[in-house]
Amino acid sequence: MDNKGWSLKGSLLLLLLLVSDLLLCQSVASLPICPSGAVNCQVSLRDLFDRAVILSHYIHNLSSEMFNEFDKRYAQGRGFITKAINSCHTSSLSTPEDKEQAQQIHHEDLLNLILRVLRSWNDPLYHLVTEVRGMQEAPDAILSRAIEIEEQNRRLLEGMEKIVGQVHPGIRENEVYSVWSGLPSLQMADEDTRLFAFYNLLHCLRRDSHKIDNYLKLLKCRIVYDSNC
Amino acid sequence: MDLWQLLLTLAVAGSGSAFSGSEDSSEKPKFTKCRSPELETFSCHWTDGVRHGLKNAGSVQLFYIRRSTQEWTQEWKECPDYVSAGENSCYFNSSYTSIWIPYCIKLTSNGGTVDQKCFSVEEIVQPDPPIGLNWTLLNISLTGIHADIQVRWEPPPNADVQKGWIVLKYELQYKEVNESQWKMMDPVLSTSVPVYSLRLDKEYEVRVRSRQRNSEKYGEFSEVLYVTLPQMSPFACEEDFQFPWFLIIIFGIFGLTMILFLFIFSKQQRIKMLILPPVPVPKIKGIDPDLLKEGKLEEVNTILAIHDNYKPEFYNDDSWVEFIELDIDDLDEKTEGSDTDRLLSNDHEKSLNILGAKDDDSGRTSCYEPDILETDFNASDVCDGTSEVAQPQRLKGEVDLLCLDQKNQNNSPSTDTTPTTQQPSIILAKENKPRPLLISGTESTQQAAHTQLSNPSSLANIDFYAQVSDITPAGSVVLSPGQKNKAGISPCDMPPEVASLCQANFIMDNAYFCEADAKKCITVAPHVEAESRVEPSFNQEDIYITTESLTTTAGQSGTTERAVSSEMPVPDYTSIHIIQSPRGLVLNATALPLPDKEFLSSCGYVSTDQLNKIMP
Repeated sequence: MDNKGWSLKGSLLLLLLLVSDLLLCQSVASLPICPSGAVNCQVSLRDLFDRAVILSHYIHNLSSEMFNEFDKRYAQGRGFITKAINSCHTSSLSTPEDKEQAQQIHHEDLLNLILRVLRSWNDPLYHLVTEVRGMQEAPDAILSRAIEIEEQNRRLLEGMEKIVGQVHPGIRENEVYSVWSGLPSLQMADEDTRLFAFYNLLHCLRRDSHKIDNYLKLLKCRIVYDSNC
Repeated sequence: MDLWQLLLTLAVAGSGSAFSGSEDSSEKPKFTKCRSPELETFSCHWTDGVRHGLKNAGSVQLFYIRRSTQEWTQEWKECPDYVSAGENSCYFNSSYTSIWIPYCIKLTSNGGTVDQKCFSVEEIVQPDPPIGLNWTLLNISLTGIHADIQVRWEPPPNADVQKGWIVLKYELQYKEVNESQWKMMDPVLSTSVPVYSLRLDKEYEVRVRSRQRNSEKYGEFSEVLYVTLPQMSPFACEEDFQFPWFLIIIFGIFGLTMILFLFIFSKQQRIKMLILPPVPVPKIKGIDPDLLKEGKLEEVNTILAIHDNYKPEFYNDDSWVEFIELDIDDLDEKTEGSDTDRLLSNDHEKSLNILGAKDDDSGRTSCYEPDILETDFNASDVCDGTSEVAQPQRLKGEVDLLCLDQKNQNNSPSTDTTPTTQQPSIILAKENKPRPLLISGTESTQQAAHTQLSNPSSLANIDFYAQVSDITPAGSVVLSPGQKNKAGISPCDMPPEVASLCQANFIMDNAYFCEADAKKCITVAPHVEAESRVEPSFNQEDIYITTESLTTTAGQSGTTERAVSSEMPVPDYTSIHIIQSPRGLVLNATALPLPDKEFLSSCGYVSTDQLNKIMP
């Protein structure tokens, strides 16, 4: 019964994923596309931001769903939440923590921060996919979302780099990002520890995706619409 | 005993726990919810664990701890504001709020922790309700019954949507005033939404709630907006009755389909005929077969009368009458149906009746067993569908007529209609013995125009056979009576021109042919010109001479080689070779060998097998 409900929900979620992906593709595809490497091609900043916001919103939805799935399936009754939320590897990056701080920070810096966060997630997402595959009864809902998030994250990173190139051309900072060292805990033999590591990673992913989504929306309103969304 | 004890203890414990549970629940404060309306502040609420009438000594305190850098700060801090959010609440203003930072709060009472909770602020966002709901009329339907409105509102004031810090999604709900169930619309990002199809005579209530776009938790509902639409115009319909066009169309189509199917199934045959018309077989041009079928001999005669050749008055020729021998054997019908009558009378209907009637004798003198004939006919399946008993009779006549037809066709360039017209002229002959001219029938089973021949072309009696033994220089044909042929074989001597026709006819679906035809066709004789030849064997027979203005042109020779064979006893058949002149006929006596008894028994109809036997 549970499996049936699971599979049904999984299929529904998968369908939702596909549909949302299609919509995303559609929404993105409708915008003019610049071939990569073209120097003179200029997609408008507004379009770039629109795309970026769509992507970040999508990634956050996916990560939320993924977290909920994991929580329901593996983390019930284990009291993970009360075990204190472990720090995320991106906590070292000093990102604004409330609206005032976010408003005060310069948008170039904010953009760079976003880039850093996105880069920091490249590695963990890659490993997340491989490790989820290796999980016992790897649920399709989680795995598919993990794969999707990984891909979208890469796309968002590319988009952000383009935005940075337009907003703040010339200056290109070193590729700074936080190193993720959580791989060993994901591969632990102990099931509990391993599951907790997964839980933590997914929770961090949800948080960071929300953060990026918020920053981008803020930046969009500030840069494109002149604080008048 | 044990069971009872167990149950009793369980009951006591349950009651006890219930009792104490209520106390416990009232004593222990618990967090009810923590909420951030705009992602800038948050507040937490709890229940006060105070028993009725008794106040707990220790006050409830809330402590929080948050993770600033990599580590948790060691100290638990107390709630900065117990007041702003109401009773039993703790309000964290924006300076104390950090988004994306984990918080843990705990509730203490008398120093003891009673409850604990950990969360992040972005997870507990529940926006305030929208404000400033209003509506405007969009349009009214033509019927004056429905209207569309546009509802607008403002986002909650504390949510900073302008700067994009928080993005809200709204959900509108509406219902009629006296209804209990709210209708929900899909969530929208904008702050206005149209509501369609509201009835003009009803009052509606509308409310809106919002949520953060990323999360699923909705905030509280806004205040209810009352929508009172203008009254309907007086001449509007009472009931929103729509003519059920759709239903009518469906039923109409259904009915038509049923009728169509009925029609198709009832007229299956005819439909089949329409769709797949029968391939027309070559017809000999002549009289409309339907006329013949129906027995309208008068019409036929009128048609025939167009042509000069047709001389109905022949029937009344006395000299001819002389020589007619009636062979009245069995049936009274026969007297009616005798060839003499047919020859004599102008009563064409009668003759036709005879033709159509079951006349055993007609053309089949030797057929003592009509059944055989009938079966034979049936087996041969000559007729197209009609399995009447009279069929054999008719067919017999047809056979004769066919032969006639063929010959006549070949004969005259002018006559493309009834070649049978020629026959009567030939038949007329002043002879002793009435010998109807035996016209060999062809196997072409065109019933058309064959039955019409009321003339004694049928092989009624052998006595009626006449053969042309000679042609006088004057141009008259000498007829001689044929020998009695019990077999009643009617050979058809086809003119050579019909050889191809013969062959074609052989191919036809008739099961029987005239042997003569078969023979003739196989041994195609190129002789068209027929000379009336008198076989030596003919001499023993009487000779008929036609008084008719038959002009027989010399040079018409019958198929001599094919006709006569030495073993032939007596030529019974006369072949008519059509001469050029429409009035001229050359008859050539031919005799076919009478091969077998069995052949004889077939009464002139040769089945394919028999034919094969005959032919080399």
